[in-house]
Amino acid sequence: MATPMRFTEAMEGSWHPIGPGPAPGDGVPGGPLGFEVAVELPEPVRPLGTVHGTLVGTVHARGLAVRAPATGTIEISPLEHRRVRYVLDFVGDDGTPFRFDGWKSIRWRRVASTWTTLPGTITVAGGAAAGTAIGTATVWFAWRDAPSLVASVRLGPPRRQPGPAALAARRWDGRPGRLEVWYDTFTDPATGAGFWLHHEVVAPDDPGQPVQAHGWAAAFPPDGPPVWERFGPGAPGEGPGFEAGGVVSGETARTGEAGEITWDLEVAGGGPPLWTFPAATWRREVLPGAQIVPRPAARYRGTVTVGDHPYRLDGVPGATARIYGHGNAERWGWLHADLGDGDVLEIVAATPRRPGLDRLPPLPMVRLRLGGRDWPSSPWSALAFHARLGLPTWTVSGRWGRRRLQVTVTQPADRCVRVGYRDPDGATATCTNTERARARVLVERRTPTAWAVEGEWDLDGTAHAEIGSRP
Amino acid sequence: MTAAAVRGAPSSALAGLCAALLDLPDDEAAAVASGVEALAGRLPVAARLALRAGVGAAGVAAVSLTGRRLAGLDPDRRARLVAVLGSHPRTADLVDLVKVPVLLAHGARAAAPELAARLTVPPVRPDGDLDVTPSPWWPSRSVADVVVVGSGAGGAVVARALARAGASVVVVEEGRRFGVEEFRTRGTLERFGDLYRDGGATVALGRPPVILPVGRGVGGTTLVNSGTCYRTPPGVLVRWRDEHGVDLADPARFGPVLDEIEAMLAVAPVPDAVMGGNGRTALRGAAALGWSAHPLVRNAPGCAGMCQCAVGCPTNAKFGVHLNALPDACRAGARIVSEARVEAVMHGGGRATGVRLRRPDGSVAEILAASVVVAAGATETPPLLRRSGLGRHPSLGRHLAVHPAVSTAGWFEDPVDATRGVLQSVGVDELHRSAGILIEATATPPGMGSMVLPGAGRALADQLDRSDHLATLGAMIADAPAGRVVGSRHAVLRYDLTPRDGQRLVAAIGAMGRVLLAAGATAVVTGIRGHETVADEGALEEALAHADPARLHVAAFHPTGTAAMGGDPDRHPVDEAGRLRGVVGVWVADASVLPTCPEVNPQMTIMALAASIATGVGDGGPAR
Repeated sequence: MATPMRFTEAMEGSWHPIGPGPAPGDGVPGGPLGFEVAVELPEPVRPLGTVHGTLVGTVHARGLAVRAPATGTIEISPLEHRRVRYVLDFVGDDGTPFRFDGWKSIRWRRVASTWTTLPGTITVAGGAAAGTAIGTATVWFAWRDAPSLVASVRLGPPRRQPGPAALAARRWDGRPGRLEVWYDTFTDPATGAGFWLHHEVVAPDDPGQPVQAHGWAAAFPPDGPPVWERFGPGAPGEGPGFEAGGVVSGETARTGEAGEITWDLEVAGGGPPLWTFPAATWRREVLPGAQIVPRPAARYRGTVTVGDHPYRLDGVPGATARIYGHGNAERWGWLHADLGDGDVLEIVAATPRRPGLDRLPPLPMVRLRLGGRDWPSSPWSALAFHARLGLPTWTVSGRWGRRRLQVTVTQPADRCVRVGYRDPDGATATCTNTERARARVLVERRTPTAWAVEGEWDLDGTAHAEIGSRP
Repeated sequence: MTAAAVRGAPSSALAGLCAALLDLPDDEAAAVASGVEALAGRLPVAARLALRAGVGAAGVAAVSLTGRRLAGLDPDRRARLVAVLGSHPRTADLVDLVKVPVLLAHGARAAAPELAARLTVPPVRPDGDLDVTPSPWWPSRSVADVVVVGSGAGGAVVARALARAGASVVVVEEGRRFGVEEFRTRGTLERFGDLYRDGGATVALGRPPVILPVGRGVGGTTLVNSGTCYRTPPGVLVRWRDEHGVDLADPARFGPVLDEIEAMLAVAPVPDAVMGGNGRTALRGAAALGWSAHPLVRNAPGCAGMCQCAVGCPTNAKFGVHLNALPDACRAGARIVSEARVEAVMHGGGRATGVRLRRPDGSVAEILAASVVVAAGATETPPLLRRSGLGRHPSLGRHLAVHPAVSTAGWFEDPVDATRGVLQSVGVDELHRSAGILIEATATPPGMGSMVLPGAGRALADQLDRSDHLATLGAMIADAPAGRVVGSRHAVLRYDLTPRDGQRLVAAIGAMGRVLLAAGATAVVTGIRGHETVADEGALEEALAHADPARLHVAAFHPTGTAAMGGDPDRHPVDEAGRLRGVVGVWVADASVLPTCPEVNPQMTIMALAASIATGVGDGGPAR
């Protein structure tokens, strides 16, 4: 049985027009061109033979397509034909279908340069002018991208990841010294109000102590100070989700009452789960703790009543997240930024409580979902980012592969709540949280000559963030 | 000439030698020397060095004989120098070597005014509508169904057939495109340097060496051939079918293909109006002997007798493949890449995958194709296949037959005006069946071909002054495949004239001499050392008896056989359908596949074979 192989590759270069066409001076002048593709091969690369695979990704070519989805095929034949051929089909911004057809011609005496140089031809792929070559392009693979390519290699069939419904189920199996959290954050765009529902089950280190299920609800009105109320503690329910003291967090239902805050909501959608921590660390206890986002871009419908002020929410954006581990981190920072159109940035920067490791700076797990693709694909990217945590402003920045990220989060004191946490071992921590934070996000992409802005967002009052510190 | 001026004055030794050889005044000698230098720039290194060595040796001889340098000699001393040089056999060879480019340069210069005056005839037809992209503008990566290497007689016909059958065809040509305007405005010497590979100085080494000019350009050698069209003799076809197993050469099958080629080329016999004095002389002489002779059939509808076939027809009357097959191919969607030398046929896993070509600037482009048809010519196809790693067959490059030719000229009291009329006009085939000798009246310009007028200095100059009284015949003999093409980077040719073929060359000189004498020649130029000019039959017989084939001036224009096709895998690198053995997807469709010398001018044979081979291209099966 052949083992499928996957990896992602990015190449950048430029193209220029050729052939008959508009008079000189008109038309498209050419410019930077590059692509980033996920390669899927039915079997690993065969040095002596030829392997054919599929490509899925995006192409950008100045004058043709700003950022177009692309699909195609790849042929890898290192010794038999000494060729690696890429055929990519994409639709230009004006609707014209294009095809890039190029191949690396391997010369073993100059293997380094021939393996990373890809000349190709761009033709019109459909319509009246089908088959006409309109340009030639050359793209290169930069050696500094090699670590991210190697890190992206996956052997074996893609594992079927569980969906958001499955991830709502309780993970805790009853052993002591564990903390499991279900939490929701959402913002009503009509009023600018933010909301936070936090449900957790704490199984103390000492098995003699009772297991506590409790939580809190918080509302952050646009005008006035935030309000938060605890519910519980009580015994955790028997059901698959969270249930305690009348508060329910099921597959789609969120109902409950905490002090003067009551809520009755239904959550839907969200897109595929966002694995802030790799799925393997969620399934198995490889790390002290892990956080994932089963519904990164969900919609909440229902009512939240704060005191005598009802908020009717008709499909407001938010996210459902989960945490499981031995307890909270030594110090941490968390950001959920909804960038619109299903794009999301999730950051969890944490210093673990393990002795020795607790002196390290917080390790940021960054997950950016843009255009349906999640980046970085490798957890090792955490080493490339650095977080400077503090209040009221904290930052995360770094560079991995072809992207550079800079995030600045501001949590004004008058918009924050300070919640006390208790770990399974009894230690306490304080979390300063607001669902009306400000986040400025800058994503840049490396081109052969410079950094080009790929996306820039300023979430003024709609970012969800918190800083945790001890005691 | 401009290039030479930019380079500075030619070496005065060369100018002195030109002055000595042709008894020229200094300024004319300098102009001729400029022309020689310009031509020398086109020659391969070996030929250039030989020329310089010749000039150098003459300079040494000048100093030792006269005490003065070559450049500073007065006419008397020059005459003495050439007389001495001409009298010793070794130095005579040297003089002959240098004479060729000097005669060429001088002839081009001398004829230029007259040619310009005669160019009142407008082009008979415009240049063909071709889709030609010079390689710098061709993308580095492209895809086609079929790549055809070479745009000459074989390649053009294959491209036309396959493009019409619906395949996407790319023709890769090493040379560039030539248009009729260029043939009308540039001098003959410059055109000669550009139209021929290595400036026309391709030489097959041997005794004698055979000069083998090969055309290079879009249209291949059909740009510069004489336009003579012969159907393949039935005897040759039968031999190919029976002795070599080439079923498609069966006359019943091959005849209709030749008919189609004749129609494509619009062949017709030379009309009386443009026959010219050279052809009429040959007809007269043959008639006097009772020998079979006739006007040649040519692909030149509308020919006005400009006599420039060898350097490109200035009226586009000569109907080379760049005017018929290639435009047909392009109309059906074929594309031509020019100025691209195919470095290798790419293949992997036993199948052809395309070609890799090199642009003039050294950069490389690749064309992927499942089928590759190699039609680079008999001298270039074997090196290409070797470079590609497909040259393992022991017979590849061997069995080169060249159809060697010698020339004989006759002096006549009345003007012949050979250059006013068709260059190659009449065929005398009396001895063709019996001895394989084909005589054709061929008025090649001086220096271009195998006619080298004897003598040097005043004697040579006098002859050149009277050259309008000269009629020239050429004779080709159907030779044994005694040559080889070696090398993979560059073609190096060897040809070992067999004793029997040597004797036939001598006999051919005799036959041509008899025709000229019967036509009324007062003297015959034999090209035989020591008996250069004879006045009657007796002297002619004497000359023939003393002729040494190893010292004849031999040229050849029809190389064949270096990738012979046939049914025997041990003998033939190419199978009987044109597929190269040892790989799937490579065909050969040029003069290399002819198993033996075709015994006649071969362009129709090559085209008909290419058309037959094209029907099988793309069938995907391996060679048998």
